[in-house]
Amino acid sequence: MDVEILVPEVRGAPLEEVVARLSAPHPPLVPFSEPVVDLCAGFSQAIFRDREASRYPELAALAFWMRRAELARLRADFEKMARTDTVTVPRGLVFHIPPGNVDTIFVYSWLLAALTGNRNVIRMSSRRAPQSDILLRLWRESLSHAAPEMAQSTMVVGYGHSDEATRALSLACDVRVVWGGDRTVSAIRAVPLAPHARELTFADRASLAAIHAGRYSELDEAGRAKLAERFFNDAYWFDQMACSSPRLVVWVGAPETAIPATGAFWDSLAACIRRKHFESPAAIHMRKLVFSCEAIVDLPVSSYRRDPEATVLQLESLASLPREHSGGGLFFTARVDYLKDLVPVLKRHHQTLTHFGFDAPELRDLAARFGGQAIDRMVPVGQALRFGRFWDGYDLLHEFCRFTYYESQVGERAPGDAAAPAPM
Amino acid sequence: MTVADLLQVSQYSLPQPEKEEALVEQLAALTEHHRRNCPEYDRLLRVLYPNRGPIGRLSDVPYLPVGLFKSHPLRSVPETEIFKTLQSSGTTGQQPSRIVLDRETAQRQTLALSRIMTHLLGPRRLPMLLIESPSLIQDRRQIGARAAGLLGMMNFGRDHVYALNDRMEIDLDAVRAFLARFGHQPFLMFGFTFVVWQHFLLSLAGRNVDLSNGTLIHSGGWKKLQEKAVGPEELRRRFLSETRLSRIYNFYGMVEQVGSVFLEGEDGYLYPPNFADVIVRHPVTFEELPPGQVGVLQVLSVLPTSYPGHSLLTEDLGVIHAVDNSSCGRHGKAFSAVGRLPRAELRGCSDVIASSVVA
Repeated sequence: MDVEILVPEVRGAPLEEVVARLSAPHPPLVPFSEPVVDLCAGFSQAIFRDREASRYPELAALAFWMRRAELARLRADFEKMARTDTVTVPRGLVFHIPPGNVDTIFVYSWLLAALTGNRNVIRMSSRRAPQSDILLRLWRESLSHAAPEMAQSTMVVGYGHSDEATRALSLACDVRVVWGGDRTVSAIRAVPLAPHARELTFADRASLAAIHAGRYSELDEAGRAKLAERFFNDAYWFDQMACSSPRLVVWVGAPETAIPATGAFWDSLAACIRRKHFESPAAIHMRKLVFSCEAIVDLPVSSYRRDPEATVLQLESLASLPREHSGGGLFFTARVDYLKDLVPVLKRHHQTLTHFGFDAPELRDLAARFGGQAIDRMVPVGQALRFGRFWDGYDLLHEFCRFTYYESQVGERAPGDAAAPAPM
Repeated sequence: MTVADLLQVSQYSLPQPEKEEALVEQLAALTEHHRRNCPEYDRLLRVLYPNRGPIGRLSDVPYLPVGLFKSHPLRSVPETEIFKTLQSSGTTGQQPSRIVLDRETAQRQTLALSRIMTHLLGPRRLPMLLIESPSLIQDRRQIGARAAGLLGMMNFGRDHVYALNDRMEIDLDAVRAFLARFGHQPFLMFGFTFVVWQHFLLSLAGRNVDLSNGTLIHSGGWKKLQEKAVGPEELRRRFLSETRLSRIYNFYGMVEQVGSVFLEGEDGYLYPPNFADVIVRHPVTFEELPPGQVGVLQVLSVLPTSYPGHSLLTEDLGVIHAVDNSSCGRHGKAFSAVGRLPRAELRGCSDVIASSVVA
């Protein structure tokens, strides 16, 4: 069968040829080497400069995240991982499978894999948005200007729903990265990898906010408005459908503090929405109304509040949380006495906890109590959408590397054992 | 006025104030009936309308979104009383609505539809040409919404003849034979709007077929025809020029309120029968809108007692043109249904990553 090569050049090619090209011996790349950093920074500049790309804020955001200063910061982080007894090396070939409906996500996982010196093959969906085509064009340009060893380090391919191609690329790669819904992840998981290879999966997730009622009450009007604005950014930028956008707001504190604080918070959010003249399409309002009715029938909802752009459903208990969500500005809210009361109710799929009013020891204590059973990320309200190397419980810088351990001379690590005979 | 009275008096005869008074009384009683007999409905009212006062106006009647019946087939009768469950046809990929009927509601729906149709067609059954293929209702065990609609309408005709063959092509011999026998007297035709245009009218063009004594009733929505830039005027114009047919009536109705259909008058506007009504609401605030403004249609009907569907907010857009001021002698609200709420695509979960940087 033929696949469509989209980067570094554009042409159709037999699958065998693509696999052979990816599997051919390559000179090893060094993590954060100058050519790879130059390539990424060049790509970032190309996006910034492109007239067509400037029409899409998410592309500007992407370019911002790949700018040279940010790459230097990532490099410093990477260098902190170094040990005197290991050499950090790339894993080899990383096969990225981004979700079909998302235009730019593949660049984020590509970036961290490329910086750490991996070669990459990315499977692009055939139903691409214009943003993706702009990126592909700029990517080709950047690679054509890059150092010769970089030119062949990244390949983007397109093919229909072909198990054959997914199978061949899965067997050829050292790491497979799968983004998408639970069903996509499970379907791709059934396709075998080489025995030594590993897989990173980013499945369906849901997120929430926790607010300390007492500390919220101490905020003045300006402080509340600022918090509302941050919360707005977390929730509304992607119609509340981003996996790290809050759907539930938990108030931590006694009822006499939490109840007035809750009211003040939603008033303040409604005011923020009005200031921004934010308006959803009519279908979103209908969807939220239907979803609210379903929730009222199925869950212990005790009250319903509707400002057109923010629907709030008060839950009497957190015992059963819905898996589905309407998006578009619909929030469940509930009260607990202590932060630790979240531990029994949150599940593995709960990803980001945005918080206000809690200090580092409280958050560390909470993470320890979750013990890996829920929550992979705790960031202040306003930071929900900020992507980073730590995502879904992975340290991506780490995941894309292997660690070669060495001892330079016998006994270096265990003095006194020098005389012991080596095994065998 | 009782429900029986509303069905019995000549349809479209009640001036709006008188009609509203009767409907408010009946719909308030129905609201109580469903609250007592459907625990989920009771819960919805308590949470959605915590400070609900007495129902004094039509717009005070609490409403549920029609989409709720896709996930929750609410009912106000015990399971043993269920006579049948209706399913909407639903667009591809969407869950259909499920509507629970007991014998009483089903009978009332049949009677209601007949009151509307006999108002238009007269008391006697007319010879009927079905703008459909006979295969649609071959298997009566598996009946879709379109087949159910056809079967419902067949009650108002006799000597039924299918105008299309199993491949949905015009059966010109059958049509000509039907017209040779009945074409000189009043006869009835029924079909779905798109089928009527695409498979019937376009195939009849230039064939010199005379439908001038016929009455065509059609339904099913304009969406597919809008894609071809065909609207009500074009349909009327083409039928008149190609077949001399002038009596064409569209109706608007839904499986969630079978029986209370809104049939076109001679002026081309839709009219609620005595026992049903419409309200237009703002698509964002859900406040009632005055005539002339397009919004979401709320449909009210006194027919449903087996499920709490007497007041539903639809996903259709419409506009009220006039009240008690019609050129075709009908009282009540004259309105149009102008299409569906445009679908909104939300972005996928993983898009989060793309957004990150701006923070």
